[in-house]
Amino acid sequence: MKIKVLAFGKIADILPQQEWEMDGVVTTGMLRGQLEAKYPDLKGLRYLIAVDKKIANDDSPLEDRSEVALLPPFSGG
Amino acid sequence: MEKQTVNTEEKPSHRRKKVFVEGPISPAFVGDSIAKHSTMMNIGAHSIFLGQVRKDVIEGQEVVAIEYSAYTEMAEEKFHEIREDTFAKYPLTCMHIYHSLGKVDAGEICLFVFTSAIHRREAIDACNEVVERIKQEVPVWGKEIFDNDQYVWKENK
Repeated sequence: MKIKVLAFGKIADILPQQEWEMDGVVTTGMLRGQLEAKYPDLKGLRYLIAVDKKIANDDSPLEDRSEVALLPPFSGG
Repeated sequence: MEKQTVNTEEKPSHRRKKVFVEGPISPAFVGDSIAKHSTMMNIGAHSIFLGQVRKDVIEGQEVVAIEYSAYTEMAEEKFHEIREDTFAKYPLTCMHIYHSLGKVDAGEICLFVFTSAIHRREAIDACNEVVERIKQEVPVWGKEIFDNDQYVWKENK
């Protein structure tokens, strides 16, 4: 099961890439855990996760081909 | 600047409208948008919000520009949702939203929200609500750039 992950804003600065694929991640919480273990700088940050462009809660299930986006606090306008 | 043309076919519709423009929104574009409503005789009030990039001083450094980026597809969905919700809530004649992407220098316009109605109250209330919702809900990020090319990520309050 593959998902596509997108990173934006400050998070895109911390991670080595802005877009990549991951295998075997079945919930948003699991994604958060794996990323924070690998990139400890993420731990101190507030960010939301969107699944297929909808804000998800922390244990939303992911499906094959889900597009998952890491969204730091917005600053538009 | 061709991206800044106003769509003159005005209906509270379900069409997706283009919101993002590359770079700053020019005062002339705002003026033209106002002028295009002069044929709509049922409008009695316009409310306009213009967001301008501020030359903030952050830890002794002056902000010279903000560079905007977005999760474009989700942002466009959100703008559409805000637009539809606002038309459902207020009796508006029309509404336009434009937001910059890319670099906007201090002193330039980065957000233009324009609501029109028969009477002022609904135009003003709708405009305020749209602006607040954009700040809270739309996935757009601004990088505040200093004159030495360093930057910090802005956060909406």
